[in-house]
Amino acid sequence: MADDNKALAQGLKRRDPDLLDQLIEQYQYRLFRYLLYLTSSRERAEDFFQETWIRVLERGHQYDGKYKFEAWLFRIARNLVIDWQRQKKMQSLDALTDPEEGAPMEFAAQNQPSPLHLVLTAEEKIGVHASLDRIPTVYREVLVLRFQEELGLEEIAGVLAAPLSTVKSRLYRGLEALRGAMQGGAA
Amino acid sequence: MNENLHTRAERLIAQERIEGITKSEGDWLAAHLRECAACAQVAQQTSDALRTLRGLPVPLPRGLAARTQFRVQLRAQVMREREPKRRLLWIMCAMSWALGIATAPYVWRAFEWAGERLGMPRLIWEMGFGLWWTIPALVAAAIVLLESVRLANENDQAR
Repeated sequence: MADDNKALAQGLKRRDPDLLDQLIEQYQYRLFRYLLYLTSSRERAEDFFQETWIRVLERGHQYDGKYKFEAWLFRIARNLVIDWQRQKKMQSLDALTDPEEGAPMEFAAQNQPSPLHLVLTAEEKIGVHASLDRIPTVYREVLVLRFQEELGLEEIAGVLAAPLSTVKSRLYRGLEALRGAMQGGAA
Repeated sequence: MNENLHTRAERLIAQERIEGITKSEGDWLAAHLRECAACAQVAQQTSDALRTLRGLPVPLPRGLAARTQFRVQLRAQVMREREPKRRLLWIMCAMSWALGIATAPYVWRAFEWAGERLGMPRLIWEMGFGLWWTIPALVAAAIVLLESVRLANENDQAR
């Protein structure tokens, strides 16, 4: 695994076009899913998807292969979304970086249909979608990283640029919220 | 049953999935769940919720990967084209500094001579000599800055 990552890092440093093509294919589903959960907009997720890979091309030399590539990839994607939010001035930086002390971070626009509304089948929408929609993005994000992407706690902390304790706290609250939301959705 | 036992069980149910638990904690939890229907239900609900989350399908937009690959290749091409210019800039800077060092004593004397001829205070022509040295760096910085601005504009237009 470590050797694979090192080879990957060298390829990125060389800006190997074949490697980039392969990575885009390989991670398209995971990256798009993550961005969709983060932005709650299919169009925005598509834009950020493309921008993320442009950044990977430009900053590939910064990946040192010590951590999983996907953790680095998600961090780039997340930073792009945060930069965009900053430019839009839709939220204060404090709310973005320390949601536990204020209103939970919401990358998604509140007045838009959530990604789940848009992508799930009608039958699934009934319960699952409505349930997940109730979970604040800040918790949904860590749930996705932990239970869908199966990243380790340290890796999630790397993606979020947050302390491990924050990651754990968000995960516990997120899991509780998920369970509660599912119960509520089923009811 | 003691309230604390249920609280502990709920904490362990979450901990097991988030961080993992020790074998003794796992044994205790399993024994508790066999006896306590309410906590067993919480464990089941947690598992169901996570299974649902994991199994949630997200259809990919058609041609997303191909479009992205195309954009990335274009960008890579532009970067490759700019690479020699950037290298040339560094080479010119290096040569400029090398020449600057090599000619420093002569330039110093020239400034000294000009300063005396024009009746300037020593501090002024010494400052002039210092500024002379910063010219290559200033030119290089200006070129890099202009290029960054142009790149940012191009990126904005591409979006």
